[in-house]
Amino acid sequence: MKWAYLGVPVVAAVPLLLTPGQLTTFVLLGLSAMTVVGLSLLMGYAGQVSLGQASFTAIGAYTSGLLALHHTPPLLALAAAPIAAGLAAVVVGVPILRLRGHQLAFATLALQLILLSVLGDADWAGGAVGLQGLPYLSIGGFELDDDMDYAYVVLVGVLLVSLIAYHLVHSRVGRGLRALATGEAAAEASGVPVGAYRLLVFAVSAAFAGLAGGIYSFFLGYLAPGSFPVLLSIEYVVMAVVGGLGSVGGALLGAALVTVVVQLLTTLATQPGMPSYAPSVLSYAVYALLLIAVVLFVPRGIVPSLRKSP
Amino acid sequence: MGELAQYLVTGVGIGCAYALTGSGLVVIYRVTRVVNFAQGSFSVFAALTVTTLLAAGLPHGFAETLAVLLAGVIGLIVGLVATGKPGTTAQSALIVTLGLGVFAYAVEILLWGDQPRSFDGIPGSVGGIQKHYLLIIGVTAVVLGATALLFARTDLGRALTATAADPYAARIVGIDVTRMGLLAFALGGALGGLAGVLITPVQQVSFDSDVALVVSGFSAAILGNLTRPGLTLAGGLLLGVVQTLVGGYLSTSYQSEVALIFMLAVLVARAGRRDVLEAA
Amino acid sequence: MIRVEDLVVRYGAATALDGVSLTVAAGELVALIGPNGAGKSTLVNALAGLLRPAAGKIRVDGRLALVPEGRHLFTPLTVDDNLRLGAWRAKNRDTGHIYELLPELEPLSRRPAGRLSGGQQQMVALGRALMARPDVLVIDEMSLGLAPLVVRHLADNLRERHRDGLAVLLIEQNARLALELCTRAYVLEAGRIVAEGSAADLAGSPQVAAAYLGLEA
Ligand SMILES: Nc1ncnc2c1ncn2[C@@H]1O[C@H](COP(=O)(O)OP(=O)(O)O)[C@@H](O)[C@H]1O
Ligand SMILES: [Mg+2]
Repeated sequence: MKWAYLGVPVVAAVPLLLTPGQLTTFVLLGLSAMTVVGLSLLMGYAGQVSLGQASFTAIGAYTSGLLALHHTPPLLALAAAPIAAGLAAVVVGVPILRLRGHQLAFATLALQLILLSVLGDADWAGGAVGLQGLPYLSIGGFELDDDMDYAYVVLVGVLLVSLIAYHLVHSRVGRGLRALATGEAAAEASGVPVGAYRLLVFAVSAAFAGLAGGIYSFFLGYLAPGSFPVLLSIEYVVMAVVGGLGSVGGALLGAALVTVVVQLLTTLATQPGMPSYAPSVLSYAVYALLLIAVVLFVPRGIVPSLRKSP
Repeated sequence: MGELAQYLVTGVGIGCAYALTGSGLVVIYRVTRVVNFAQGSFSVFAALTVTTLLAAGLPHGFAETLAVLLAGVIGLIVGLVATGKPGTTAQSALIVTLGLGVFAYAVEILLWGDQPRSFDGIPGSVGGIQKHYLLIIGVTAVVLGATALLFARTDLGRALTATAADPYAARIVGIDVTRMGLLAFALGGALGGLAGVLITPVQQVSFDSDVALVVSGFSAAILGNLTRPGLTLAGGLLLGVVQTLVGGYLSTSYQSEVALIFMLAVLVARAGRRDVLEAA
Repeated sequence: MIRVEDLVVRYGAATALDGVSLTVAAGELVALIGPNGAGKSTLVNALAGLLRPAAGKIRVDGRLALVPEGRHLFTPLTVDDNLRLGAWRAKNRDTGHIYELLPELEPLSRRPAGRLSGGQQQMVALGRALMARPDVLVIDEMSLGLAPLVVRHLADNLRERHRDGLAVLLIEQNARLALELCTRAYVLEAGRIVAEGSAADLAGSPQVAAAYLGLEA
């Protein structure tokens, strides 16, 4: 955690140095990082693969968006996002967290597909068009209306979820969870309430994603089911796995690395003379190759491997 | 012919594609314990390949066969990457296949763009039923029948079952377990490819159709816990028919949820039963 | 047939076999006895080529077949299919001669192997190994969990195969049976050979008698 004391001021200076385009990437990176911190916790400590983490981002975003459109004060609407996502996680978590491995992966994927389909058909959520004309976030009468503001909102968000994740990991719950990750039967035998802890991590990870979704809705000002494709969930998994599961630092690094690499390649791919499909081809290839290479050759992910090797 | 009969035939036709996809998952899972998330990519890749082969002037039948064989080769490659490295766990292999599915997106967009594509099937209809659905049903029956015979009546099939049942014992008698796994991937690839080339004339495909396909195939196979071919066929047909009936009599917007809800219900019910058994 | 020299096998950091040497000559019946966890099955798996030695040499002349500990039949397959797979490498997969050697398997040939009794399963495991037409047979824990009558029957069968010229390495917890059946024997403890010699000599040795035959020294 010591690195963090140094890292925070450094990272806090970064937005000041970025071009407008880079600032947008920075905000999106931060939002991904918030979700990935939670997912990494879930996959690393509760040993669960979720292929539907973007559902919770969507739930958070739609909660904020709908409330804001119905004249709820934006800050309140934002606060409701993680709560709604966390509650949704508890509701679906009770039945589906009994599943393991590929079963849970498919179940979370199915839930996301159902959510997207429901949102696409729901008139109250704007159907396939989604929600438009969302207000800006405002704090104490001060309206956050440019990317720089959101860069700092996101930084605060990342810091918040990282601190919560860090303390969760180092609490009694965290120790129980570590026992859980190493062997469920043993954990259960030593009196760790496995089911409750797993549900707690699931809900916390969902709340992180929901908070990111809430900020996202204010940042972009519009939402549609298409903003939260299955591929987004897979992207989160790539980031979590690449950085290293169960590690806050790994989640942050994974999100940053994947985003920056994809962004660099996209810049390259949008040069004049490149075909129109180049950006998507390159970004899919990067996700895929990073994921495969890390799983096969750095199975614990980058950060835990760096930390363990002298 | 009546509306209901039409829906039933259409549903069985669609269900055949699910059953083929599901059977591919089952063949691979039984032998290697890997759930292959890239299963839908085989179908998409084969279908898109057919569009190119037909455009190049190859006749129907030949183009489809070639594409299915190519899907088998791709299955083999997926198997090599996912299970070739010693010490790769089934869980890691699952994530690798997920990555390979995304990699397929890059290749497919590069080769065929991101717009949906289709090609002609068998034209015409009998009694209000498109003949192509009858082709799907016929080919599926023959292929799944042949697959069943392969497993039940040949030593190669017995060796595949033996590997699935007890890899240690399989190695003792000299069966190359890794090679059996790759063979299963190739077979799974071909079954997936077949699903793709059969269904595309009635349902166009694009690079990301794989998610819907693999989810449907998984839903079909889950009834038999990913290990029972017969139940996978039954599951696929059931899903196809129910989906078509829902689309026909209720609303097409609920169609896609049928397989998803069915899958969740089976998974959760089975987990519940397992918990009860464990508690007892 | 089998020549093992200074064999070392490790599981990660744990050393399971620590410099084991052992031979089985053509047509010989040799016993390997020792307590649980001594490393007997590890030796078996190394002989079958399933474990890589960390050091030492293994030489097997001719075909080696294995009846593994716990039988490890292909339970969903029929008895006949199990037998056929025993000849996976040998290619001649005709099961007829096995039914002549082990006639009690013939009426069971269509039954799934998982539905048989323990004794019947051990017979199938033996038949499956014989399908490879081996020159040397390695049997790990032949009598484990079987009724005395069944064990006697298996032992008789083994003697017959031995008369036909088959070499056997018999791994047994039941030392009395092993020493009675075999001409030579090795005693393995904690990954090392601690005694070897003719079965009669070993049976007469006070240490072996005390540890493995349940007799007072
Ligand atoms: N797959 C394995 N991984 C790690 N240790 C093992 C494995 N198999 C056996 N061992 C250990 O090696 C030692 C020898 O085991 P084994 O060969 O099975 O003994 P035996 O057959 O004589 O009972 C034991 O200490 C056992 O715990
Ligand atoms: Mg043993």
